[in-house]
Amino acid sequence: METDELIINMGPVHPSTHGVLRFKLRMDGEIIKECTPVLGYLHRGTEKLGEMKTYLQFIPYTDRLDYMSAFPNNYAYVKAVEELAGIEVPLRAEYIRVITMELNRIVNHLVSIGSLLLDLGASTMIMWGFRERENALQLFEKLCGARMTFNYIKPGGVREDIPEGFIPQLNEFLKDMEKRIEDYEQLINSNEIFLMRMKNIGVISAEDAINYGMTGPTLRGSGVDYDLRKYEPYSIYPDLDFKACVRDECDSYARYIVRIEEMKESLHILRQVVDTIPEAKIVSNPKYGVAPMTGTPSAVSTYFPRIFTPPTGEVYSRIEAPKGELGFYIASDGTTKPYRVKIRSPSFCNLTAIPKMVQGLKIPDLIAAFGTIDVVLGDVDR
Amino acid sequence: MNAAEELKQKLPAAVVSTGMQVNKPMAVIKKEELLNAARKVKEMGFDHLSVITGTDYKDHFEVVYNFFSYNNKHNLVLKVIADHDKPEVDSLTSLWKGADWLERETYDLVGIKFRGHPNLIRILLPDGWNGHPLRKDYDMNTEQFVTVGENGDDIVSPDGTNLLRRK
Repeated sequence: METDELIINMGPVHPSTHGVLRFKLRMDGEIIKECTPVLGYLHRGTEKLGEMKTYLQFIPYTDRLDYMSAFPNNYAYVKAVEELAGIEVPLRAEYIRVITMELNRIVNHLVSIGSLLLDLGASTMIMWGFRERENALQLFEKLCGARMTFNYIKPGGVREDIPEGFIPQLNEFLKDMEKRIEDYEQLINSNEIFLMRMKNIGVISAEDAINYGMTGPTLRGSGVDYDLRKYEPYSIYPDLDFKACVRDECDSYARYIVRIEEMKESLHILRQVVDTIPEAKIVSNPKYGVAPMTGTPSAVSTYFPRIFTPPTGEVYSRIEAPKGELGFYIASDGTTKPYRVKIRSPSFCNLTAIPKMVQGLKIPDLIAAFGTIDVVLGDVDR
Repeated sequence: MNAAEELKQKLPAAVVSTGMQVNKPMAVIKKEELLNAARKVKEMGFDHLSVITGTDYKDHFEVVYNFFSYNNKHNLVLKVIADHDKPEVDSLTSLWKGADWLERETYDLVGIKFRGHPNLIRILLPDGWNGHPLRKDYDMNTEQFVTVGENGDDIVSPDGTNLLRRK
């Protein structure tokens, strides 16, 4: 019997591609011979916009890159600007930033695991994930008025101080979350169908993972002990006690477990930070140093100049975002707008490895492997 | 001695100058020697190619490579300066597979060609797009009409002749 190869287009509108991504699959029967991702359906020219906006005007655009975890995006950009201009940041602001970023990491992983399980056909986890996510989003709303796109972290500090009642509510969330993660593990970790779909699927060795430029949970799932928070520390991470979560299996299951473990580590970090947050100023100014007032919101947001000019130069600064290494390259020509903004997004670089991971697997395995890469298309296409 | 100076000692012919990119050692490499220098950099233990950035400086292009070593926890930046008329540098896809998409993106948005790249086509914008948006002389007022052809390919035209109905 003569057989022929078949080209299948998966996407751009497909529930398992988490947005608008198209896979061009060359199939031999049920086996994927070649997988070519086609991107760009959500390209909004963010880098070009960066050249046309002032340094502060660009911050809201960073929210919209990886809209599942906007605080780390804000922070990565602001950190690059601060490094470029040499702005010092008050300690209390750094604590608030770490609280927001770690909360956002939990939120991101809840959605990531939830949608992974949904893709595999189990709908409980996404309900549970969104239930806990709602509590976290209410915390964000209390903090800065927005639930997903915050525009909260500013050069020199944060926009507003922690409101009254935030810390008790956060403590409650932490206490609740601890039990919830146990629930998730009981529900998922030893489910036979789940294990069959995940174990030895989408295997990528440590060597390949590094060569393809994978970072974040996907790299740590391949047994590379690397976490920027730990080995190239920024903010207040050097003072905190936590570990990088690493698994050696290199498969989809390992990447899932890494995310569960990271949520626990984030809770651990948050508990330390909440206890020791210092009473101090929350914003500084490149000319005049740390603000003389503890902030009423209006005072804080007007203290940092709306238009400021960093010195000429270039900087590349990167952080450990929930999805991996998020970096901003900024070249300044000494005017009020950046000369060039380049975004190194973790989703884009992690997606590079998908063709290698799924070669020789079946389409349902592609969905499982792709789910554990955890991409957001706003971050891929920029 | 930082990594940039170490590279200069090993390949004096390739390195034009050394400096710092804020807190990361940086070496400016001769355009012709990029592939050699990159090979040496990989031997020195820099296994992670973090990002490739192309920038249009009106009279020349700069391509910046950020490397990181997972073992030694060191950073290194390589910079290559390309002509403005015919921006072309060597591709690093033979050394880092992650360079594939990063180079395609740089080609797509900035218009720098990478010699030896196996599949140098646009990645974010539709095929056939006119111009490279991150060039400083890109005309933002140019209209581009994009439709999808029968076999799924993008069809772009600057005047709308590819559309069934004119706007």
